[in-house]
Amino acid sequence: MSALTVTRSVRRNAPSALVLVWMLAPLVPILVWGFAARWSAPAVLPQDWGLVGWRQALDSGMYAALARSAVLGLVVAAIATPVGAMAGRALGWREVSYPVLIGLVLLAPVVLPPFAVSMGLDVLLLRLGIPETLAVVMVLVAFAIPYTAYTMRASYQSVDPEVEEQARVLGATPRQARTRASLPAVRSGLVAAFALAFLVGWSDYAVTLLVGGGRLITMPVLIGATASGTGREPALAALSLAAVIPPVVALGIVLRFARRRPSPVSIQPEVSP
Amino acid sequence: MTSGRAGTGPAGWRQVAPAIVVVTLVTGTGLVAVLATSLGLMPLFGKAELGTQGYQAGASDLLLSTRETLGIATSSTLLAALAGLLVATALIGTSRGSSLAAAVSAGVVTVPHLIGAASVSLLLADSGVASRLLGVEGRSWPELVGGAWPVATVLELAWKESAFVALVVVASVSKRHRDLREVAAVLGAGPWHRWSRVFLPAATPALAAASLIVFTYTVGAYEVPRLLGRSYPEPLPVMAFRLFGSIDLASRPQAAATAMVAASIALVVGFLALAAAAGARRHQRRDRRRDRRRDRRTVPIGAGAR
Repeated sequence: MSALTVTRSVRRNAPSALVLVWMLAPLVPILVWGFAARWSAPAVLPQDWGLVGWRQALDSGMYAALARSAVLGLVVAAIATPVGAMAGRALGWREVSYPVLIGLVLLAPVVLPPFAVSMGLDVLLLRLGIPETLAVVMVLVAFAIPYTAYTMRASYQSVDPEVEEQARVLGATPRQARTRASLPAVRSGLVAAFALAFLVGWSDYAVTLLVGGGRLITMPVLIGATASGTGREPALAALSLAAVIPPVVALGIVLRFARRRPSPVSIQPEVSP
Repeated sequence: MTSGRAGTGPAGWRQVAPAIVVVTLVTGTGLVAVLATSLGLMPLFGKAELGTQGYQAGASDLLLSTRETLGIATSSTLLAALAGLLVATALIGTSRGSSLAAAVSAGVVTVPHLIGAASVSLLLADSGVASRLLGVEGRSWPELVGGAWPVATVLELAWKESAFVALVVVASVSKRHRDLREVAAVLGAGPWHRWSRVFLPAATPALAAASLIVFTYTVGAYEVPRLLGRSYPEPLPVMAFRLFGSIDLASRPQAAATAMVAASIALVVGFLALAAAAGARRHQRRDRRRDRRRDRRTVPIGAGAR
C-alpha cells in the first residue's frame, strides 16, 4: 500500500474516528473502574486490577435488581407493544378519523416530564390503594406507548393494506389475514417497538423512585443509591456495566432484524389483478 | 366487517382506544393532580384549601431554579444540536468506518442517562480520570462537577442527546440525500458546498424537531443534575424531588408547584416543536408539488432511467 492510499484512507475515516472518540470517551471511566482493585490518584492506570467492584455489586443485591429491571422492562414492553401496534395500524393505514389529533394525544408523554406526572399520581395512588409495582408498570406503559405507536405507524405505512384483502380473497379469515399476512410484514417494526418499550422500563429512574416509593429496587435505583456514596467507584462502575450490557444486546438483535430482507408479503405486487 | 380495508369507523376507534385511554388516564390525571396539589387542593392530611402558597412560599428559589433549568436546557440543547449535526455529517459518509460509528451512536442512545452521569462523574470530578490523564491535580482542576457552572451536567446531556439528534437527522436525510449529493458533485460543487447547500437544508427540519424534543427532555431531567450538579441553586426537577421527599408535609404544594413550572415550560416548547414539525411538513409538500409541476413542464430527459 502506498503512502498516498494510507493518507487517503486516514482522511476518509477521520470523521468516523472522531465520532467514535466523542461517543465512547465518556464511558471509559466505568470500563476501567469496573476492573480496578486499587486506583488512587494521580496514577493514570489502576495500581491493582481485580473484581472487587463486582463482588461489592453482588453483595448489594445486583442479581435481584437485574431480575426486577428485566421483568419490569419485559412487562412494560409486553403491554405497550400490542397496544401501540393497534394504534399504529389504525394511524398508519388511516383506519380512524382525526389521525392528527390522536397523534398529538399520543405524544403527550414525550413532552411531559415523567417526574411531574408521577408526583401528581403518587397521592392519588396512595388514596386509591393501588399496589406500587402495578402503578409503576401502568405509568411506564403510558410513557412507552408513544414510541411503540409511532414505530408501528411507520411500519404499517410501509406495508400496503391490500395484503390483508388479498389474503381474504384467497380464503383467509380476518384473523388469519392478520396473523399470517399483515403481522409478519411488520415484524421488524414489532421487534423495534418491543426493544424501545423494554428500554423505557429498563432505564427508568424517576418514576420507579417516586411511584414505587423507594421499595422497588431496580438496577437504576441501586445505581443511584451507590452513586451517592463515596469511595464506591468500583461497585458503581460494575453496576453501570451490568446495566449497559442488556440494552446493547437488545440493540444488536434489533439491528440484525432490521437488516434482514423484507418478507415476501411486504413487497408490493407489480401486477394488478 | 364490511371489507378488509376498514376505512374510518368504529373498528379504527377500537384499535386506538387502549393507547388513548392509558395515555390520557396517566398523564391527564397526573397533571391535574399535580396542579391541584400545587394549589393546596390535595393535601396529604387536613382540609383542602385553595391558595397559591405553593408558588409563593419559595418564590425566589423557584425563580432561581427556573433560571438554572432554562440555562442548562438551552446550553445542552444547542451543544447537542451542533454535535449531533457534526456526527450526522460523519455518519452519512460512505467510508467503512461510518457504519461502525453509526452502530456505536445507536448504542449510546440506549445507555441510560443515570449511567452516563455516573461515568461522567468518574471522568470529570476532582482526581477523576480526566484530571489523571492530563496530569492536573488537586486545586488546579476546575470544578466541573458540582461547581458554580453546570459544566458536567451540560456535557453529559449534550453527549447523550447528540447521539439521538444524529440518528434522527440521518434517518430523515439519507434517502434523497445520496442522489442530490451526486447531482451536486456532477454540477461541480465542492465538499463545503455539498454540505452547506445540500446536506444542511435537507437536515434542518429534523434537526429543529429533534432539538426541541431534547429541550423538553432536559427541562424534566432529574438524575443528571442530581449526580453532577451543585446543591444550590438547583434545577427544577432536583428542587421538586427534594421538597417532595421532605418530612415537612407543608412542602408538598411547593414540590407540586415546582413540577408544574417544569411541566409548563416543557408543554410550551413541545407545542412549538409540533407547530414547527407541521410547518416543515407543509413546506415539504409544497416543494414536492412545485417539483412535480416543473417536471411536467420540462422534457423528461432521464425518464425511464430508473
